[in-house]
Amino acid sequence: MDISKFIDYTLLKATSSERDVINLCNEAKLNGFYAVCINTAYVALAKQLLDDTSIKIASVTGFPLGATSTAAKVYEAKKAVEDGADEIEMVMNLGFLKSRNFVSVLKDIIDVKLAIKDTPLKVILEISELNKNEIIKACSICLDANVDVIKTSSGFSKSGATLTATKIIKKTIKDQAQIMVSGGIEDYETAMKYLEAGADRIGTSKNINPASSSLQTRNAKIYKKYLDANHKQNNSEAQYSKMSQELR
Amino acid sequence: MKQLSSYIDHTILKATATKDDIIQLCNEAKTYQFHSVCVNSCYATLAKEQLKNSPVKVCCVIGFPLGAMCTEAKIAETKQALSDGADEIDMVLNVGFFKSKDFDAVSKDIEAVKKCMPNLTLKVILETCHLDEDEIIKASEIAIQSGADFIKTSTGFGTGGATIEDVKLMKSVADGKAKIKASGGIKDHKTAMEYINLGVERLGTSSGIAIVTGKTSTESY
Repeated sequence: MDISKFIDYTLLKATSSERDVINLCNEAKLNGFYAVCINTAYVALAKQLLDDTSIKIASVTGFPLGATSTAAKVYEAKKAVEDGADEIEMVMNLGFLKSRNFVSVLKDIIDVKLAIKDTPLKVILEISELNKNEIIKACSICLDANVDVIKTSSGFSKSGATLTATKIIKKTIKDQAQIMVSGGIEDYETAMKYLEAGADRIGTSKNINPASSSLQTRNAKIYKKYLDANHKQNNSEAQYSKMSQELR
Repeated sequence: MKQLSSYIDHTILKATATKDDIIQLCNEAKTYQFHSVCVNSCYATLAKEQLKNSPVKVCCVIGFPLGAMCTEAKIAETKQALSDGADEIDMVLNVGFFKSKDFDAVSKDIEAVKKCMPNLTLKVILETCHLDEDEIIKASEIAIQSGADFIKTSTGFGTGGATIEDVKLMKSVADGKAKIKASGGIKDHKTAMEYINLGVERLGTSSGIAIVTGKTSTESY
């Protein structure tokens, strides 16, 4: 099965450079991924790179702790949409949830939702920090806030998605929202298991599309052929244009 | 030397920190006369309330811990934190822009936040665990030129915290133009004193009580 359409190709680490974002967008194009997911500082750049494609731009707010003030989350989300984000992922305020201050948890989400209007909103629960009852409660708050997608993990906590949690979420929300799994999903087989368990979307920083690895193998052979030829003939221009044709 | 407790920003930044955790943090800060409490921006109001009529300051983090939020969002978070009662701001430098060698963007990011708080203390976190020696020097220079009152080593959420070597480098660049805050992994009295003897003027730690009472803490920050 081609799983590329399920994948948000993700780069959120602090040290990501412009070059890394460019590579991410190029690979997303090459593989036909559903979306790229990046920090808000890079939304405008990604928008430039992906403007003529159908690949969506997902960005994050209050990431990865979920502990920024609601006003800051709202502003960051709005600015990201203005810069070209097609989807927003916010981290639930886990401290408020753990304080059993559910009103503030809900307000935090609804305020962001209102600010971005029709832009799809994903809420990250950070399941590694929650027990079963807390996951169920968090899901029901998300449903009350009408979120579009419930996402398991930020990828910056002690662990990522689990099949158990995915099934709990599925059982709680049924088809009222989509489920996105993320954190530690690094190969095709694992991704498939989650899709079978009820996940609708997959967030990963690994290129897990099997089509892409065969493409990479093919390309590697072509590069090698022309590199060898280049050494012998020393006509870089001609070799290059032949190679680029063959790569297409 | 100033009293040891006055060097300490008593810190809780983990995602799951509850209201009760913040209240306890504030009470401890009052009891031990720490310089400030350092909290995420969602808790600025609560911390301010707990600390009214006390000299303990409220310090909020911005763009934390990745530093990768857009400048406008850092500005909005800062303004909200200040209006909620924050007295000091610890912002994370945009490490990605820095690694892209877009030093102009790094600098503007810091200047924009400083502009919101010209008379208040701004600390810029370099996240030294991601930087080599040359990068630490460059990042320190940029931060100071852009208006940082303090340069700070670490978020506590990166791959490592403060080291003596990094602090010495930062100190040599700062050379009186800015102060140094060391943070990440400072858990006992002996380590705290090592940094203070190097000329560090602030310590960010979750182990403030252990440090002032001479015990060793099991906290991770």
